[in-house]
Amino acid sequence: MTSRSKRISLSEAAEIIKDGSLLTFSGFTIWRRPCALVYELIRQKRRHLHLIEVNSGPHSEFLIGAGCVDVWESCWIGHELYGKYGANLARRVRQKEIIYEDYSHAEMAFRFQAAAAGMPFMATQTSLGTDIHNPDYDMLGRAGLRNGKNPKIPRKKYHIVDDPFFGDGRQVLVPAAKVDVAVLAVQQVGDEGTVRIAGQFFTDPEVARAADITIVIAEEIVPEEYLRHESHLNKIPSFQVDYIVECPWCAHPTGMFRFYDVDGEFLRNFYTQTRSQEGFNEFAKEWIFGLNHDGYLNKLGVPRLARLKANTVLNYSTRVERGRK
Amino acid sequence: MKDRTQLAQPGEYTLGDLMTVAAAREVRDNEVVFAGTGMPMIAIMLAQRTHAPRLKLIFEAGTLDGRPKELPTSVGDPRCEVGASVASGLYEAFSIAQRGYVDLGFLGGAEVDEYGNVNTTAIGDYLNPLLRLTGSGGNPDINSFAKRTVYIMVHEKRRFPKNVSYITSPGWRVKNWPTGEWVHRRELYGAAFRGGPSAVISTAGVFRFDEETGRMYLDTYHPGMSPEKIREMCEFDLDISRVSGETVPPTYEEIHLIHHVLDPDEIFLAKPRKE
Repeated sequence: MTSRSKRISLSEAAEIIKDGSLLTFSGFTIWRRPCALVYELIRQKRRHLHLIEVNSGPHSEFLIGAGCVDVWESCWIGHELYGKYGANLARRVRQKEIIYEDYSHAEMAFRFQAAAAGMPFMATQTSLGTDIHNPDYDMLGRAGLRNGKNPKIPRKKYHIVDDPFFGDGRQVLVPAAKVDVAVLAVQQVGDEGTVRIAGQFFTDPEVARAADITIVIAEEIVPEEYLRHESHLNKIPSFQVDYIVECPWCAHPTGMFRFYDVDGEFLRNFYTQTRSQEGFNEFAKEWIFGLNHDGYLNKLGVPRLARLKANTVLNYSTRVERGRK
Repeated sequence: MKDRTQLAQPGEYTLGDLMTVAAAREVRDNEVVFAGTGMPMIAIMLAQRTHAPRLKLIFEAGTLDGRPKELPTSVGDPRCEVGASVASGLYEAFSIAQRGYVDLGFLGGAEVDEYGNVNTTAIGDYLNPLLRLTGSGGNPDINSFAKRTVYIMVHEKRRFPKNVSYITSPGWRVKNWPTGEWVHRRELYGAAFRGGPSAVISTAGVFRFDEETGRMYLDTYHPGMSPEKIREMCEFDLDISRVSGETVPPTYEEIHLIHHVLDPDEIFLAKPRKE
């Protein structure tokens, strides 16, 4: 593939993700989530997605609320300070409309590290004695999905062994998190695909490596030579990135280090409004359907976006209201 | 002018202040502390500005030895990274924790049982839950890896049940799968055993654990509470034979730091009505 052909549009990027794909994302809870692409998936009515994530957040609440997701496999979902749990997941769990699989956070991080390094599993000592390892709570197994039909779904949720090398006791083997597509939201990508992430990089390098296809949505596409001048600052090499999309404010309402803060008001309203399916449908009608990304930004308006804009020295906004005061 | 080292009087501080200060006092200087969002973050930053100036702060999202100036609203917040030694990722943070560097973790929970098992996953039958919660996050990981873990919780009888609906995070007596028989945590963790829950700070009091029996006992009760009243607020038979007294209230200096330096915008803690 020539470097120029990596550049695609938001809607072309969404088309790469097929019904039934195993999908994962960049970021951490309410930070650097590719929401612009998620909205586009909802507009394109993608169905039967299997989300597998180190941790989850508003982006997955959008997809789950819109009925795009059959399986949610992760460890956490919510909106941090702005909404205490994932109301859309909770509703669909209660109504048995979604399969949920719980691991611990470290287990999920180690599962992605395993996939990223081509290892079938990693060994860890976390969460021993908890219900995460209760054999009755293997939900993919209960749903008959561990039958080998999808080669990316492991045959077991976990496997416990005794350390064969040092005699250090019980170890949990957690299976590699193999994914079809990873979508990243980052600050900068080079025109050949080199990724530079400012601030904490969360599990983005592992996530990109674990996937068969990696799509990078960036606030800006910059000349490769610029990024290659200081290659020690880059996190993902060009050849691990298959497609690139330039899309300012691609993570809104989640935050982007050095570019903009979390839109807490938006998240709080979303959390409150989408406790019911009717509320979600109204939200989607107002903020997703009938809009493209430009329309969405227009609707948010310049003053609101300006308040969220990060101070370029501090890397966060000094004008955004965060508390009661 | 008030002597800032003096203890404040009832009415001059909130329950949130009392709990934050109780949490801060769990921190020892020079320790490596794994910080969660909310009140724990204020408690740790308070400790950093009082008795533990050399504590090292690790944030789950990847910041190692951060020295935030402004209160982060979550561990993914750029505010965590100010003054940090290294800004990295989750694999780094969890590897460091599993390697044994973490002395103390601060966590929360929806339910806690007598042995310190905590639930943050679902209320009711896990297969048919009444309410699906956020899920584990790093709760079991931090608690599995740290030498001590402190839980901060709202105290209601239903939140202190005989058995939690789902063991998200391991206490002192845990389940040995695949049979599910109860065993002491030490037995299951073997060489990876470093400790366990060391305190629960609730809206009613401060609780600790007997590391041999694994049972929770009441250490201090908050002003206005009594050991008997708190025992009534637990579904299990709470040990109140080891009570050391009332929870020590904040000093004027600590109240000043909480409301004028650390959380002036009332992101997590509301100011007392009259100050």
